[in-house]
Amino acid sequence: MRLRFSRKMLGIPYAVFLVFFVLLPMLVILFYAFTDKEMHLSFGNFIQFFSDPTKLSTIVYSLVIALITTAVCLAIAYPVAYILARSKMKKKFILLLLFVTPMWINFVLRINAIRELLSWVGLLGEANYFNTIFGMVYDFLPFMILPLYTTLLKIDESLYEASADLGAGGMTTFTRVTVPLSMPGIMSGITMVFLPSMTNYVVSDMLGNSKVTIIGKFIYEYFGTNWHMGSMVALILLIVVFLSTWLTGGFKEDETVRGANL
Amino acid sequence: MKKRRLGALALAAVAALPTLLFLAGCSGEETVVLRVFNWEEYIDEGGEGSYQYDYEVNEDGSAPPIIEDFEAWYEETYSTPIHVEYSTFGTNEDMYNQLQLGDKYDLLCPSEYMIMKLAAEDYLQPYDESFFDPAIEENYYIRNVSPYIREMFESNRINKADASDDATWADYAAGYMWGVTGFTYNPAYVEEEELSELGWDIMCAGQYQNKVTTKDNVRDSYFVALAILYRDEIEALDKSDPDYNKKLTAILNRTDEETITKVEEIMREMDENIYGYETDTGKADIVSGKIWLNFAWSGDAVYAMDIAEAGEDEEGNETASTLLNFFIPEECANLWFDGWVMPKGANRQAAQAFVNFMSKPENAVRNMYYIGYSGVIAGEEVLSYVKDCYEVDPADYENAEDVTSYDLSYFFGDTVEAGSAVFYADSEQASSRQLHAHYPTEDVTLRCAVMDYYGEEANEAINELWSRIKSETLDAWAIAVICVGIALIIAAVLLSKFGGKLDLFRPKPKKGYTRIRQQNLR
Repeated sequence: MRLRFSRKMLGIPYAVFLVFFVLLPMLVILFYAFTDKEMHLSFGNFIQFFSDPTKLSTIVYSLVIALITTAVCLAIAYPVAYILARSKMKKKFILLLLFVTPMWINFVLRINAIRELLSWVGLLGEANYFNTIFGMVYDFLPFMILPLYTTLLKIDESLYEASADLGAGGMTTFTRVTVPLSMPGIMSGITMVFLPSMTNYVVSDMLGNSKVTIIGKFIYEYFGTNWHMGSMVALILLIVVFLSTWLTGGFKEDETVRGANL
Repeated sequence: MKKRRLGALALAAVAALPTLLFLAGCSGEETVVLRVFNWEEYIDEGGEGSYQYDYEVNEDGSAPPIIEDFEAWYEETYSTPIHVEYSTFGTNEDMYNQLQLGDKYDLLCPSEYMIMKLAAEDYLQPYDESFFDPAIEENYYIRNVSPYIREMFESNRINKADASDDATWADYAAGYMWGVTGFTYNPAYVEEEELSELGWDIMCAGQYQNKVTTKDNVRDSYFVALAILYRDEIEALDKSDPDYNKKLTAILNRTDEETITKVEEIMREMDENIYGYETDTGKADIVSGKIWLNFAWSGDAVYAMDIAEAGEDEEGNETASTLLNFFIPEECANLWFDGWVMPKGANRQAAQAFVNFMSKPENAVRNMYYIGYSGVIAGEEVLSYVKDCYEVDPADYENAEDVTSYDLSYFFGDTVEAGSAVFYADSEQASSRQLHAHYPTEDVTLRCAVMDYYGEEANEAINELWSRIKSETLDAWAIAVICVGIALIIAAVLLSKFGGKLDLFRPKPKKGYTRIRQQNLR
């Protein structure tokens, strides 16, 4: 048998990567989650997690923080993306650049700057939850704007014209043409903001003075003391994330979705 | 998610690099390899921050890191080339995880409780007897270690879990840096008398609501809560009792169920009262005036005081100069130290040589100067460094009260000329500023307790307590309501997705073209 080159072989590097850095780690997490300190099979962590109000509350709090962050991001990003995509400006990439440049500046630096600002206004140490959400919105906004912008840009101008021809007003066109067509962008924007805002505890530590505990911090702390519980929490987070992605239709094999995922 | 994967890849690449370099480097002669695992920024790394920078510099204007000097010294002394593989960790727990993953090292530098944990779990190998022979020229550690530290190491058992094990600290560990905990405070807002009155209650007292921070780690915060909880009992102890410190230490290491329950209440009060938990931001926050009091390790306190005084921030930009003070509560404080230990299978000879080299007084000064903490090494060079920093001439002072005689004989003991460890210092320095934090006097150390490793079970209970304090806990009914809500949402989505196929909930189309149009658009 001669080894013949086929296009499929181009996928080998990524397959190897996938096995070593995605699949194997997942299996390790699964293994640790369902073993105890003596490495015996055990459901103890699972039972302990669901019988401990602290852990359940932390999940709930993280969910709520992530939901609010996502909602605020969407509320800010949609109009911006819409205006950007529909404006007739010749140099609108400059405008887009203004929204994207913050992403190129070091994350820690930006969070420190926000910290000083909040302290200057007098909110630091006073409104920890507000500060955390504020920081996350600031941080993740570009991740919402970009996919929305790309999908909105792709909507054919003639569809708006057709809508107007058929007698639809501005509002009707928006709700019945623009929003449904930009749904893939909304969905990928939501996934890209929702997931990190459940786990990015640097923001909650720096801006909430470590008084706000989200699930990411929880996992981090457990990995200092008890890997098994840490893995269990990580696994449950994974399931929550999987469920929410599935519910919002993130797995749909749709060209527009893939295009919008940057 | 993508970022994280890239991070893992980068990490793997970085981890592989030293191995490759090493393989490339040792093809010729037989080089000894010494793998040292230390805290981040916890050794003289050369360059501008180095003590020698002003004295002897390389041709290119840089001072060499102390590790390079060690390699040269080792080859000269033992006529074998050595290569130090130096890596760093951020927390004791990170270090422990690395060990558990099977990483091999020759020398580690964890804190006291982690050393005890490692000893209890039988990870460590004892120091060689020859290490303690003061007759050998190269045994700098035993020849220069402070008698105070030495006494402490020799009188405490390392494995408290096993009563039959009489091994002491000294058998398994050599000290590196030590210090106490206390509060850095801004005297512009805080009166010292008030602090003395409150003691550790500073954390819960309403006077400093939102103006005080604690450490974002369970052990330090647990200690504070214990000190508050048992204040009366501690104050009732007889200070002249020779066992005073032992009794104090026992109280400050309680982990019984009743204590934990009471500590939880106190920690909740603390949580309500404090500005926040911090690991590294406290220093900057107290200098910039965001907070008035910062629960701090002495080395960090010295750093914060220096920065505030110099009127410049870490990047060297000018800021308004403020004077900060350091306060060690009068009832008790925590004494901590980091020490060198060797895991089983370590290269004992090379590891001990490393410890000895770092214990050479001039090298101890270099490290202390670079990282700002106080070393366990005494000796003439260290004393003259301390004097350079703090000694004053009483003739320069008009008021006799502004000068105090400061006695560090307990620390320097017979490593220096008798009586030379007593010197004149500025009264403010001695009572509440850098000197007080850097080298506290004997009466302060008497009321300092070392926090032990609590044992597996107690540790778990305290960690759970910590997670309860740090997270908001909802009532059971609230959780139930939310769970039902989520279940309903999932059910609703499922129904809208698959309900159509089941032919149960198919909505009747209002007009024939509506459905078609929607489908086309999607």
